[in-house]
Amino acid sequence: MAELLEPFEFDFMRRALLAATLAGLLTASVGVFVVLRRLSYIGHGLSHGIFGGAVVSFVVGINFYLGATIWGAFCVLLINAVSRRWQISGDAAIGIITTAAFAIGVALISRERTFTRDFEAVLFGEVLGISNGDVAAIAGTMLLVGALCFVWWKRLVFVTFDEEVARASGVPLAWVEVVFSLVLAATVIACLQVLGVTLIAAALVIPPVTARLLTDSFARLFFLAALTGALTGFLGVYLSWFVDVSSGATVVLLQAAVFVLVLALGGLRARRRERGGRRRERDALAGMPRSPLG
Amino acid sequence: MDRIGAPAAPPAASAPPLVAFDGVSAGYEGEPVLHQIDLNLRRGECVGIMGPSGSGKTTLLRTLLGQTQRLAGAVREHSGRAGALRVGYVPQLESIDWSFPITVEQVVLLGRWRESGWRPWFSRRDRALARQALERLGIDHLRRRSIRALSGGQQQRVFIARALIGDPDIVLLDEPTTGFDIKTRHDFIHLLGELYRGGLTIVLTTHDLNAVAAHLPRLVCLGEGRVVADGAPPRVLTPDVLRAAYGAEVAVLRRGHTVYVVEHEDAPLEPPAAEPPAAGPAPVPERAPHG
Repeated sequence: MAELLEPFEFDFMRRALLAATLAGLLTASVGVFVVLRRLSYIGHGLSHGIFGGAVVSFVVGINFYLGATIWGAFCVLLINAVSRRWQISGDAAIGIITTAAFAIGVALISRERTFTRDFEAVLFGEVLGISNGDVAAIAGTMLLVGALCFVWWKRLVFVTFDEEVARASGVPLAWVEVVFSLVLAATVIACLQVLGVTLIAAALVIPPVTARLLTDSFARLFFLAALTGALTGFLGVYLSWFVDVSSGATVVLLQAAVFVLVLALGGLRARRRERGGRRRERDALAGMPRSPLG
Repeated sequence: MDRIGAPAAPPAASAPPLVAFDGVSAGYEGEPVLHQIDLNLRRGECVGIMGPSGSGKTTLLRTLLGQTQRLAGAVREHSGRAGALRVGYVPQLESIDWSFPITVEQVVLLGRWRESGWRPWFSRRDRALARQALERLGIDHLRRRSIRALSGGQQQRVFIARALIGDPDIVLLDEPTTGFDIKTRHDFIHLLGELYRGGLTIVLTTHDLNAVAAHLPRLVCLGEGRVVADGAPPRVLTPDVLRAAYGAEVAVLRRGHTVYVVEHEDAPLEPPAAEPPAAGPAPVPERAPHG
């Protein structure tokens, strides 16, 4: 028993568990809109693009959070502008802009080899080395995103479900796009330290997709996704203590395991329903009077 | 099926039009799609916009919604009350993401997003209005169902209910019968008739000349972004107008008040000799003079 409570004895672990829980909750909540707007690829691309922003912030000497947020929001707005103005498909625009932004970071690192190691945390996540300031950044972003979702809930649902009619009904689409871009960029940046560039896209996508398998109601989907994100964030870091595997990877592997489990249970339930239906059909046929020809 | 019946209070010819297009040219990114459109839409009218693909039907609706770039002319609105014209828009069903987790009632409530305040939930009054709109369309019993579990005709009614809950001055429907089978299309025409008789102003675009356009009280035919003809179906569905708009030779048959457009002149128009002749006066094909 004492062994099970061991992770809670250390300050850095308590911070890591809190940060991972908040990051899981935040990424999953924002991920609901990412998945339903079919923007899963943008989460993947943006996290890579923001890596460039992180390096540029370091080189220019400005605050990482500020520089990377501006860089990330600029990337998303540029993707929107390019795909709308020049009729380039969204996924192609994401591919071009975010990989170019990532490449800027790689190019700068290759010129200044002295600070290569500082970016390992950004690339792969380092939740155990997280500071109180980083936890505060995640919590602050979460409060901001929560307040925005609360006030703009109807607008966000309308735009996500039916963009054309939302615009026709007076929903300020351009503002929703800008705010969503900023929220997405802020979420990715706030959670980089926990999950890293390479894993954050999974944390945005897997919990909402898992929740989608469980419900047909938008509000329940949002709640279930947030709950899955928070629980897997906490349990992932907790388990990583015992299995001695990277915390970010454990969180994402746990999320993937939950997804597979829900998918399998859903498949079993569907098969049982199908078998029940066939049995009822057979019983009904057995109860019918026999055909004089049969 | 005959033309849809007239409303209890027909639109007064002397009243100013609800919407007037005065020499409007409009399009996208500086490129005009509509050219010099003059068109009056009166309160209580039901108008069908027809024409070939690319003729500007959807652009006309989008101009009404203020979503196009106006390059010339003016769109004047006389809603008769304070504030801008309230427009209810029903999109093509193809544009909807059916995998979205949302119930019928939630879809309808979205039509109240502006009036319902900043809280994420809807008030009791909003829900009562949603129920009223669903009852008006005969689908209140489906309000807790997921939108994707409904048939095409039921889904169409849900989106009309969403348009109606905002108490619109005018309702626009973009290709409302695309993908519908005969029965669903028939039901839709009846629903349209009920809404029209209830005094609703309706503008819809359609490709369906026989099953939809021929039953509407007024048709506007567009060709290459211009109004080719405007009036009752017998005036608009003529070989000359259809040739000018579609660039195709067609025959037009008339039976009573109803007009039938026959797309393939070579198709056998008469039933085989063994079958008894159809009741009523035989349809007389009206052919376009060739050359």
